[in-house]
Amino acid sequence: MNSRMFQFSFKSLLGIAMMLVLFSGNMKAEDGAKLFKQNCAVCHASHTDQKLTGPGLKGVFDRIPPGDWVKRWILNNEKMIKGGDPYASKIFSENGKAAMTVFEGQIDDKGVDAIIAFLKGPAPVVVLPGKPVGGTGNEGEEVKPGIEPLYFVLGSIVLLAIFITTFRSVRTSLQNSANRTEGKPENPDMTFFEEARHWISGHRRLVGVLCIVVGFMGMKSCWDACYDIGVYYDWKTQKGYHPDQPIKFSHKIHAGENEIACQYCHNTVEKSRHAGIPSVNVCMNCHKGIQEGPTTGKTEIAKIYAAAGFNPTTQKYDVSKTNPLSWLKVHNLPDHVYFNHSQHVVVGKIECAKCHGDVKAMTTVEQKAPLTMRWCVDCHRTTEVAMAGNAYYDRLHKALKEKYKGQYDVKFTVDKIGGLECGKCHY
Amino acid sequence: MSMSKKYWRGLSELNESPEFLKQHQSEFAEPLPIDEFLNGEEEEKSGTSRRDFLKVMGFSTAAVALAACETPVNKAIPYIVKPEEVTPGVANWYASTFYDGHDYASVLVKTREGRPVKIEGNEFSKITNGATSARVQASVLGLYDGARLAGPVLKGAYTTWKNADDAVGKALGSGNAVLLTSTVISPSTKAVVAEFTAKYPNAKHVTYDAVSYSALNAANKNVFGKSVVSSYNFNKAKTIVGIACDFLGTWLSPVEFANQYSKTRKVSKENPEMSKHYHFEANLSLTGANADYRYMVKPSEYGKVVAALYNEVAGATGGSKVSGETKLGNAEAEKAIAKIAKELVENKGNSLVVAGANDEGIQTLVNGINKMLDNYGKTVDYVNHSNLKQANDKAFIDLVADMGAGKVSVLMTHNCNPVYTAPASLKFADAYKKVATKVSFSIQMDETSQMADVVCPDNHYLESWGDANPKAGHFSLQQPTINQIFSAPRYEGTRQFQDTLLAWAGVKSNYYTYLQAYWQNHVFPQQGKYLDFASFWAHTLHDGVLKVNVAKETPAVVMAKDSAGMPIMSGIATAIAEAMDSVKTEEVKTTPVKETVAAEAMPTPDYNKAAAMATSVKGGAFELAVYEKIGLGNGNQSNNPWLMELPDPISKVTWDNYITMAPADVKTMGMNEMLRQDIMGSIATITVNGVSVTAPVYPQPGQAPGTIGLALGYGRNSKALKVANGIGVNAFGFLNVSNETIQFASPSVTITKTDDTHKFSATQVQHTIMGREEAILREVSLNEYKTKDQEVWNPATLIQTHDGKVPIAEVDLWDDYARPNHKWGLTIDMTSCIGCAACVVACSAENNVAVVGKKEIGRTRDMYWLRIDRYYSSDMTKDKAEAEHIGYKQMNLDLETPSNNPKVSFQPMMCQHCNHAPCETVCPVLATSHSNEGLNMMTYNRCIGTRYCANNCPFKVRRFNWFNYNANEWFADFNPAQQELGRMVLNPDVVVRSRGVMEKCSMCAQRLQAGKLEAKKAGAPLVDGSIRTACQQACPTNAIMFGDVNDENSEISKWRNGNRNYVMLEDLGVKPTVSYLVKVRNQEEAIHNEEKHEEHKEEKHEEKHA
Repeated sequence: MNSRMFQFSFKSLLGIAMMLVLFSGNMKAEDGAKLFKQNCAVCHASHTDQKLTGPGLKGVFDRIPPGDWVKRWILNNEKMIKGGDPYASKIFSENGKAAMTVFEGQIDDKGVDAIIAFLKGPAPVVVLPGKPVGGTGNEGEEVKPGIEPLYFVLGSIVLLAIFITTFRSVRTSLQNSANRTEGKPENPDMTFFEEARHWISGHRRLVGVLCIVVGFMGMKSCWDACYDIGVYYDWKTQKGYHPDQPIKFSHKIHAGENEIACQYCHNTVEKSRHAGIPSVNVCMNCHKGIQEGPTTGKTEIAKIYAAAGFNPTTQKYDVSKTNPLSWLKVHNLPDHVYFNHSQHVVVGKIECAKCHGDVKAMTTVEQKAPLTMRWCVDCHRTTEVAMAGNAYYDRLHKALKEKYKGQYDVKFTVDKIGGLECGKCHY
Repeated sequence: MSMSKKYWRGLSELNESPEFLKQHQSEFAEPLPIDEFLNGEEEEKSGTSRRDFLKVMGFSTAAVALAACETPVNKAIPYIVKPEEVTPGVANWYASTFYDGHDYASVLVKTREGRPVKIEGNEFSKITNGATSARVQASVLGLYDGARLAGPVLKGAYTTWKNADDAVGKALGSGNAVLLTSTVISPSTKAVVAEFTAKYPNAKHVTYDAVSYSALNAANKNVFGKSVVSSYNFNKAKTIVGIACDFLGTWLSPVEFANQYSKTRKVSKENPEMSKHYHFEANLSLTGANADYRYMVKPSEYGKVVAALYNEVAGATGGSKVSGETKLGNAEAEKAIAKIAKELVENKGNSLVVAGANDEGIQTLVNGINKMLDNYGKTVDYVNHSNLKQANDKAFIDLVADMGAGKVSVLMTHNCNPVYTAPASLKFADAYKKVATKVSFSIQMDETSQMADVVCPDNHYLESWGDANPKAGHFSLQQPTINQIFSAPRYEGTRQFQDTLLAWAGVKSNYYTYLQAYWQNHVFPQQGKYLDFASFWAHTLHDGVLKVNVAKETPAVVMAKDSAGMPIMSGIATAIAEAMDSVKTEEVKTTPVKETVAAEAMPTPDYNKAAAMATSVKGGAFELAVYEKIGLGNGNQSNNPWLMELPDPISKVTWDNYITMAPADVKTMGMNEMLRQDIMGSIATITVNGVSVTAPVYPQPGQAPGTIGLALGYGRNSKALKVANGIGVNAFGFLNVSNETIQFASPSVTITKTDDTHKFSATQVQHTIMGREEAILREVSLNEYKTKDQEVWNPATLIQTHDGKVPIAEVDLWDDYARPNHKWGLTIDMTSCIGCAACVVACSAENNVAVVGKKEIGRTRDMYWLRIDRYYSSDMTKDKAEAEHIGYKQMNLDLETPSNNPKVSFQPMMCQHCNHAPCETVCPVLATSHSNEGLNMMTYNRCIGTRYCANNCPFKVRRFNWFNYNANEWFADFNPAQQELGRMVLNPDVVVRSRGVMEKCSMCAQRLQAGKLEAKKAGAPLVDGSIRTACQQACPTNAIMFGDVNDENSEISKWRNGNRNYVMLEDLGVKPTVSYLVKVRNQEEAIHNEEKHEEHKEEKHEEKHA
């Protein structure tokens, strides 16, 4: 945990540092990057030759007519083509006569300047967005990794062993010399284990009590461990489960770099118990245009087309050739648990990342939370219910305020309203 | 103590022979064949030792165990194109119509991810008002019945639709075709039939109802000149008289009538009035069980009762009397008739007499009585008549004769199964064989389909478009809630009956378009609310129902077609004009209802002839009355395991039909007169006119002496119907034809005892309350309720403490816990509850309650979360024992025996969610605990199955999963969860429980959580009534109320603040969350002994002083 915290913080520090270096004093280009992502990235690659729907924009300013041509083109390319601008007509026909969106009225002059500044600037470094989990507000400080408890225990054991052997030999020799001076016979040369057995036989009661104590502690830890058992991935929980999906879909590219909101694809998260795996038609909203990806090229996106029965060259769908995608479910709950996404997202106002981790940085989605009952319960014990402004809770809020009247620092956490009751999740 | 004796295993040990000594060293007398087992022939070479064997064993065990630890891979397969209205995990609701040729109900269908999982009542309906019945609730399972046909069948083998169409088309080309259906209430289907008969002029449409109401039509024809079935308004009736008419359970439109009836029985402090219900019958029906006064008469006496009542009413209203025998075997009943007539006349215009017998004479007299009582247009209405049960028995009888004479070349049966249901005397099966081409539209391979040449399976009603006009002025739409389950490419597929008929009639359009066109032309013009058809259609489809103020006849005529052969459905702009035109043109042919009546002269009914007809039946020593059961009805849903397992509301017997006889008769015949799970019942043979069946005998209190009851719907004879095949006997054979109507009673029966025995499986074998009325089943007469103190009939439970007697609420062993948010409560009005068991099926459907089968029920291992306890009254009471000095033992023995004609009480019983729950304190693993909303929660995944909780439950509502019902092969044939299709009906929000865990009513926790979540998401307080439990929603009589007791304005708080509220076994101090309202009976006899109460009062008074 500690090391992971450190990792996140380190990455974010690195990112922030880079951002500062890149964009200090160039706020325009930063805005431009954002605008470009929102408006242009669907059809244009900003700093490569890669052709999406529109041409890649690497070196675009060397190709096009100088002056404000580019600005006019961005704002209203239709007018220019109709107006008979030669270069405009040329690129229109070069790109399969696919019209570009008219941005007049959507982006103002300043925005266009910013986009141009962004395009003229260096290629952006992929920056991990979002706050690091657990590292809020500590960007300036170096987070030291703690010593792993395992090493600590091992070290202690080694130390103890050294102490025992040293003291034992010292004691034996001292006692032997004492015996010698007193004329008693020397103690028989016992091995460590013989001696231990000898000691045990002399302290039966103590050893018995110790055994019982240790036995109970063992049972307790077994019991505790039971709470963590999950049948899925590692021996304890399925944490870290990251199966290879039928399509190498990267959340890093979609949610991270392109900043597509989680709810765009997982669009039932606010309505239903399921967040929803997007249907293929949702993919096709963008991928009808974006036919090539930055890492895998056409191969992976072609799988979407195969699923949707889409022919990218003719841009036509064939309903008879559809083929559903079988994604592998990463976050699995047993059947006897009822979990509702909308409850947590809409009512509880919980961020997706709280349970799913920094999905924006994941190429392959990995289960970050253990999804054990302990994990659920722990969160219910510490999370406050968002009662303010929700009229449903008015009566309850009043009753709780009355109940805990005079008590300082009482938080109305989920467990206080019955969030730990069996029948709330198991029925 | 040391052993001085020594034992030898044999002489060789005693003598210590060398062979023995050698053998003594080895553990086994002979070497075990382990090596052989492991290695076979190579034993010598490898020399596998026992250790190796164990190693191999250990390795394989470990390997298996490790393999089990592998990550199970779950897949998530999203839609290619997600339908806009589907949100995975969120239910969609569609309004639709349930009509199976027998019952009608307007329903809402709950679908999850595109599959229907639950049926609920549609509250927009002015007919059923959101009510449902057990059969309506269970109908969703029929959709997933494995016995359904997956495509057309030609000569016993699956074929293509083209082949089937060709085969039928060829046959239709020549000869006489007859379409035999049960009553069609769909106006557009009638038009489709008209299209068909227009194409084939030799084709004829005959209506046949398995359970016939032909006499109702005939009687209305006799009295009012209109061959219709009247509609009834029980809600306006103050005095109701039923003569063998189970209108709450099975007669005509029971869902509608139960709802109306209950409205007259909502007794409260503010309105302490209720209807009074008299009932005459032979079998103890559900309606008879709910009557205030019930008289046992034989079926042959029904006519005499009606004639006597007619004469009494005529005497009081100045009408002329009829002649005829009116002497009854039951003197008490005979005496009562005068009194009943007096009350009827007192409530002139607010009374209702109904009779169930399918006898023209009886029904004509009943019409006469209602007419004299001025009830027409008030409680009974032939103008706004019902469209149900239009069959004319004579047409069917003539048809069978024609078939036998070879005059019918094609017979097409839809929504009926005459081979199974026709009276034996008609010899339908023989006549059917003589038909050249037999076509069936049945969705299953039933008895008729088995004999048919071509089976063209219809869609299930949940897959179909359709409409209904159940009553004049009331329309409802039916819409598909799932794609056809059996469809291409996997199957040839089913096809809706109407589509098939349209195809055969050569109409190009499909039925959906046709239906819309029909509605645009004939229904849309009748309403004035919507101006364009598109929004009219959308809204009506959403609501499911439409009520028009002025009802016009919906014509069953061919529709105009355009050049392409499609029915003309004019554009929105011209819709009204065209529609009006079409109505105008049709008015020439079919004039509106009212005018018909006004135009035609009223016939003069001959009541004397009717009386002669009604009273002419001579009864024998034993008479048979065939009846419908609440569960199976006419048997069209008998392959439904939910209905098969549903305990009969009266007898509580499951998976069986049986001969019901009066216990006294059973005893006289020397048969077993007890019902217990460990005693075998007797079996007897009954014979009527040469037809005989052998069935077990059930001693039924309340059965008129000298009568025998036998239920319809059982004894199915088709291997395809896995659930129903061979269960019980078929009683349809006993229907007989007299006066050209199908009769359900046989006046002369011989019954002979056999030596065989039969094991009944009943969910309740104890009959009476054993004198514990005050603790469990509180009742009061209306008179006492109005005049006496609540202390008399609903006293607070007192408990003895060292300070004297105090109310139990003041003494508490346990701490009280706060319920800061909601405090759920459930209250059951026992006056309203009629015991119809709709809630039982609804609960099973909602909560995935397992079907366990006859054998397990016989071991008292039924899984019902909600049961309805039925109690009979006994002649013995504690007061009587005291007064007559009857000993304690004798009193208790007598208390066990129900009266010959008992009063019946129904008490729905589910987990009482005790606030000081005895089950919770004994669970060793805290698998059952209490929520801060007052519910007792059961956590299956924690339960280890000690069953301590069930032992400690005072209400015996906990159910233990003895088997893995959803996987164990013993239950494979009938447990829906085990079938590929059947498991589709499971509610995905509720866990399917496994073996070894306890389960019980959760008060629909899934609905509570969902309802609360909706409120939380909306950021608004929970609205009272927005959460309803499955049982509450299903209840046709609104007898169940659920809500938040913390909310002072909630409906349940109002119920509980009334003076009838009490909780069961209050003296235990378990503080149940469920409460009951005292049952009020509209009877003159006092139920409570006032003297005794006064004594109590004095005692208490003294104690207080002391």
